[in-house]
Amino acid sequence: MSYLEYQVQTVPTGIRKVLHVNWALLVLLTAVSSFGFLMLTSVAGGDVSRWAEPQMKRFVLGVIAMLAIGLVPLYFWRSISGIAYLVGLVLLIMVELFGEVRGGAQRWLDLKFILLQPSELMKITLVMALAAYYDWLSMARVSRPIWVIIPVIMILLPTAMVLKQPDLGTAILLVAGGGIVMFCAGVSWWYFIAVTAMVAGAVAAVFYSRGQDWQLLKGYQYDRIDTFLDPSRDPLGTGYNITQAKIALGSGGWTGKGFMQGTQSRLNFLPEKHTDFIFTTLAEEFGFVGAFSLLVIYGLILFFCILSAANNKDRFGSLLTLGVAATLFLFFAVNMSMVMGLIPVVGVPLPLVSYGGSAMLVLLAAFGLVQSAHIHRPRSR
Amino acid sequence: MTRTPLRPLARILAARRDGENPDSIERENLAARHEADRDTQRERAEGRLLVLGIVFLCAFFMVGLKMSVMAGSDPVEPKSAASGAQIVGARADITDRNGRILATNLTTHSLYAQPHQMIDPDRAARELAAIFPDLNDEKLFQQFTGKKKFLWIKRRISPEQQQAVFDIGEPGLLFGPREMRLYPNGKLASHVLGGVSFGREGVSAAELVGIAGIEKAMDSELRDPGRGDVPLALSMDLTIQAAVEHVLYGGMRLMNAKGAAAVLMDVHTGEIISLASLPDFDPNDRPKPLTEGDQADSPLFNRAVQGLYELGSTFKIFTTGQAVDERLVSRSTWIDTKGPMTWGKHRIRDFKDHGPAMTVEDVIVESSNIGTARIAMMIGAERQQNFLAKLGLFKPVPVELVEARGAKPLLPRKWSEIHTMTVSYGHGLSTSPLHLAGAYATLLNGGRSVVPSLLKGGKPLGASVVTENTSAQMRDFLRQVVVRGTATLGEVEGYHVAGKTGTADKPKPTGGYYDDKVIATFASVFPANDPKYVLVVTLDEPVETSGPKPRRTAGWTAVPVAAEIIRRTAPLLGLAPDVEHRRAQGVTLVNN
Repeated sequence: MSYLEYQVQTVPTGIRKVLHVNWALLVLLTAVSSFGFLMLTSVAGGDVSRWAEPQMKRFVLGVIAMLAIGLVPLYFWRSISGIAYLVGLVLLIMVELFGEVRGGAQRWLDLKFILLQPSELMKITLVMALAAYYDWLSMARVSRPIWVIIPVIMILLPTAMVLKQPDLGTAILLVAGGGIVMFCAGVSWWYFIAVTAMVAGAVAAVFYSRGQDWQLLKGYQYDRIDTFLDPSRDPLGTGYNITQAKIALGSGGWTGKGFMQGTQSRLNFLPEKHTDFIFTTLAEEFGFVGAFSLLVIYGLILFFCILSAANNKDRFGSLLTLGVAATLFLFFAVNMSMVMGLIPVVGVPLPLVSYGGSAMLVLLAAFGLVQSAHIHRPRSR
Repeated sequence: MTRTPLRPLARILAARRDGENPDSIERENLAARHEADRDTQRERAEGRLLVLGIVFLCAFFMVGLKMSVMAGSDPVEPKSAASGAQIVGARADITDRNGRILATNLTTHSLYAQPHQMIDPDRAARELAAIFPDLNDEKLFQQFTGKKKFLWIKRRISPEQQQAVFDIGEPGLLFGPREMRLYPNGKLASHVLGGVSFGREGVSAAELVGIAGIEKAMDSELRDPGRGDVPLALSMDLTIQAAVEHVLYGGMRLMNAKGAAAVLMDVHTGEIISLASLPDFDPNDRPKPLTEGDQADSPLFNRAVQGLYELGSTFKIFTTGQAVDERLVSRSTWIDTKGPMTWGKHRIRDFKDHGPAMTVEDVIVESSNIGTARIAMMIGAERQQNFLAKLGLFKPVPVELVEARGAKPLLPRKWSEIHTMTVSYGHGLSTSPLHLAGAYATLLNGGRSVVPSLLKGGKPLGASVVTENTSAQMRDFLRQVVVRGTATLGEVEGYHVAGKTGTADKPKPTGGYYDDKVIATFASVFPANDPKYVLVVTLDEPVETSGPKPRRTAGWTAVPVAAEIIRRTAPLLGLAPDVEHRRAQGVTLVNN
């Protein structure tokens, strides 16, 4: 259903667009980021300039980018989404060839003025491309196998490259985010059920074969899986982060120890304390109240996105908004769950809070797309 | 699915006839179809959106729930299944009641090897053998070139040895810190302290696990990581323990005894001030348990706690005390002591003939078996058992020593009347000297039940067993034993010792009793008028040979040793001698 087929007269133009920006969303994003500034100050021992200041600069830059993207008509974004996806793929291949190796993973691309993580960019361009694809595809074909295979390939191509870096967290986010977009686009339930069943069957087969004659993996591989699933088996190795994080969360209690009073995170017990595990500092210093507040703000952001998507008659805009919302959801849900030991540790930052340039800029830019969809949504007649 | 054609012929023809543009009909229909399409699409999209929202909500609540559970939980240091991670080497110190160290930890090092990291195994083996003469260089070389990736070489090495090994410069030889238990006072209080050994062992730490004495009984408290630096304060007094052990050792040698035990306890709190058992050992170099023979002959055997002996006439005071308390007799009641007394096929004799009758007081003072047996018959078996049980003589003493748990008194299998009589004067019932000390404290401190304890502060007093008045009378009886009875050697100037002797023949392992082997016991309290401490001294097979014929009775053996202990320790315990008594000492009877 094409955007141009709606009555475009009701869509605001010119400077009037500013009034139609989803300001509530912007306020919520600022609130989340402010949590991040506080925590980054705290883990640096009160030193604002170390992590908080660059993060603030990037936030301002990101908000400007968000508004700029938001004011550009949505049809522009739809028309470039195919190209954007291809550019993202090319960048991922370039990382493979010329990428910087940091922390044992090849994820960064030095573009002279910024160290870019193409995998971060890919999360958004994939959502854009899928939304454009389903906007183009007529409703009747959505569940036809041939038309299902195309988006699956679109998802799996970058996932495979990201897995090679290796970056399990991003790979999961890509698959799950793409899957959610496909689900919202109306792909038949049966595909999802079939995929789930197949994955479950494969996992079950791998575990069932353990100790049998036809064991599918080597013994040490099972050991790695065990440690991955239950880090407490190895508290000084793989499980170190998670055990320390659990101590921090437990010692924070209901109201926390107070700003800059957290010992667990500030005394350098925690590695990655300013990136993936920053949530522990929050939980330790502001306790359950602080941590839950952050969760509620994330929840509100999701709520506003879903509301915006539900009221958006434009298919591309609606799917794009949902895709971005799903990405955000996966970010924080996976991060929080992994910190609290609900799921194994995969490297996923806490969105807008963890220190990191690419992730923040890309996420704010993605919300720029949400804004664009919101501003340029077809109004009812 | 039925679809409206975009250009329905009927309408097109009608439109043409009316001169309208038929394309507008197509557009109209196209718009309508789009509208319908969009409606189904919206419907489906809204359903999907709802599902998505519910999934988000579920995840939200799961994360929130987990958050609250973790916030509500106490921060617990996680324990791991991996070996070595949970080994905690720390172990609290043990001090005496004044804070002087009885047991502490010393950091030493262990030596281990990782042969795959070795550069020159041959040289390492040779030099190691030079440093540690007990190691064999060929065997070491075999181990170093074998398949093992890890092996212990020495569990504990001295700093000098460590330096020497370090100087070999072999990267495959590594050190791990090892806490070592140190008892700076050597043999002092060895049976109380017991000992430790290494429990689970890791490269970076090893557990010190109590294996005997208070180290084992209080093991979990001593190893509690939450304890911090707080030492475990015992009720023992190091100075007094040293004096008691010194005197007891001298007494044991003098009386040719093969073993000796002493218990000095506060009668009001049950705090054990000193507990000694000879022969003893050095807990820093704990001897191995005997592999053959009687474990009771091992220096590890704690006679004061584990030794179950028939403690003889010391029990008579319990019989008398019960009879007086239950108003069956008074101190001046006459008791038939004509001997020998026969009961069925059993005969009860006295050490010497006491004449046809004597008062209850004199039964104790002269230690008459017959008199005590007759009093016991007045009490009866059931009441006697109840009373002895209340004195704690039927169960192991609940003191903080692991050995005490196994020392359950040996009771007659069937408590017949003859047993009532023999138990009344201390035969047929075997208890430890510590049991006796507890029972004496209970009977003589005013009648309140006492539970012996090795921890500073003791345990709260229990129920009243006899009246204050009975308790005072019993002290008076026992005082008379020392003044004019079987324990006259026990008099210590100024300290009013009151006590009872007991000499029991040792039972043969094959049944029956030895003629020439006795357990001699003196159980006493001092000062008699206001008792503060109870002292039980037991000598195993003493023989006093200064007289014309060997003497074995407690009056000649255990009593003088106990008197010497009281003489030495009473001032240390802060008791002042009673000056009133000096008057009588100065009088010299002169016959003009």
